[in-house]
Amino acid sequence: MNAISVQNIQKAFGGNMALKDVSFEIPKGEIFGFLGPSGSGKTTLLKILTAQLEATDGHAAVMEMPSRMMQKTAQKRRFGILTDNSGLYERLSIEENLDVFRRLYDLPKSSIDQVLHFVNLNADRKKRVSVLSKGMRQRVTLACAIIHEPELLFLDEPTSALDPVNTAHIHKGLRYLNERGTTIFLTTHDMTEAESLCERVAILHKGEIRAIGAPDELKKVHRDGTLTVELTSGEKERLSMNEDSATAIAGWMSRGQIDRMYTNELSLGDIFIKLTGSELV
Amino acid sequence: MNVSLKRIQAIFIKDYKEFSRNYAVSIMILFPIAFALLYRSEAGDQAAIYAFIMNFSLAMLTSFVQACLIAEEKERNTLRSLMMTPASMLDVLIGKSALVFLISAAVLAFTTYLFGYETSNVMLLAAALGISILLYTAIGTICGLYSKTLLEASLSVFPVLIIFTAGPFALAFEEQYPFLEVLRYLPSSQLSELLVAMEVGAAAGELARPLVIISVWAVVLTIISFILYKKRLMDQ
Repeated sequence: MNAISVQNIQKAFGGNMALKDVSFEIPKGEIFGFLGPSGSGKTTLLKILTAQLEATDGHAAVMEMPSRMMQKTAQKRRFGILTDNSGLYERLSIEENLDVFRRLYDLPKSSIDQVLHFVNLNADRKKRVSVLSKGMRQRVTLACAIIHEPELLFLDEPTSALDPVNTAHIHKGLRYLNERGTTIFLTTHDMTEAESLCERVAILHKGEIRAIGAPDELKKVHRDGTLTVELTSGEKERLSMNEDSATAIAGWMSRGQIDRMYTNELSLGDIFIKLTGSELV
Repeated sequence: MNVSLKRIQAIFIKDYKEFSRNYAVSIMILFPIAFALLYRSEAGDQAAIYAFIMNFSLAMLTSFVQACLIAEEKERNTLRSLMMTPASMLDVLIGKSALVFLISAAVLAFTTYLFGYETSNVMLLAAALGISILLYTAIGTICGLYSKTLLEASLSVFPVLIIFTAGPFALAFEEQYPFLEVLRYLPSSQLSELLVAMEVGAAAGELARPLVIISVWAVVLTIISFILYKKRLMDQ
């Protein structure tokens, strides 16, 4: 069963195509990463999936309903969203901000304690949002998005403003949410985040999906077919995977000269550059 | 249409907390009171002076505060966050208008008391002011939804303030400039006419006409604010 199903989605702004024939499916319970630089169409797609924007052509279904139905009250209870422009009430405290969402989702008061623990902000709950750091604000915004434990969570660059400690805390929390059944649709340009969190990723460039699959699969597909042998003498040998290399390796091995040996896999960032010819920024 | 009292209450409580801590906006409740104190001992046509204070207060308090509350939500992107929650269009619009409605009603009642305005038909006066508050709230919502920033919203209310407050006075030049007759249909002019008609003990038909015109304004502007809200729900 799919949480998200996108078929041949196109979106044009005037004469510019922001999304070109984008298709993919995300099964329920998966953490799926959408990778791409700013302006690649990630946020446009996210807005189409949450009914904030109409597609020019194609079909998108979210939790087996057409995405345009996502503005219905019953559907809105099923998903949570954090985008780079999700706002907070500056004059209210963290707790008061969460209380607004708790009431809107008709949740018990204990949900505030749970979500504050989740984002590691329990000690700061009485602080006004206006005095918070960017990282703390981001955690409060995330807390507002997940207070109702949604079936599907849309996250647009969720850790972009966070330090490594808080990023690790949020990642741990997202895995926990995922283990409890939440499907996560994540857009990011952070390759480490994508590799550590996502079961599958799609690489989006100029509105087109250039590659889709598990990070390990993509690395396998795009590896350069060589391996490096580091010898005890300190030399490094880069070898093609053929019979001659096998003979050479067997020789070094019999003489105990191999220190370590590894295949030369590209990182996700390298794969992105290879596929798109541009850096991830 | 999905309406939930709990969600309306959530938005109302949130707006109350924000309003009470936002002194730049909450100070507006003092304007009608100051005007009542300023004009209470003024000699002349009490109904006309009272109508001016009410019209000014409706624009300066009701429309201005509502425009600021909506525009601030837009500027800080909290309106979009609110739209993404289970709150329906009616929940948000009723919730966001309820605070301004209650504050306006309380302040206008206190202003009426301070000014010392007395009428034989309190129910009719309350109905006219109640409908006027609704319509000026809708104007504030429209100004807030059209504006991109809080500053833009606060400036966009001024044409409303000038036209609606000065409209009834401009009618004094109607004979010289016949096109000014159109100002007679402004809700502010109708409120003035209604108050004068009440004072002279006009017939029911004469009293009903201004009330109907004010109601038509309220309905039309409320519908426009709903349509605009729906448009703001989607990006272009």
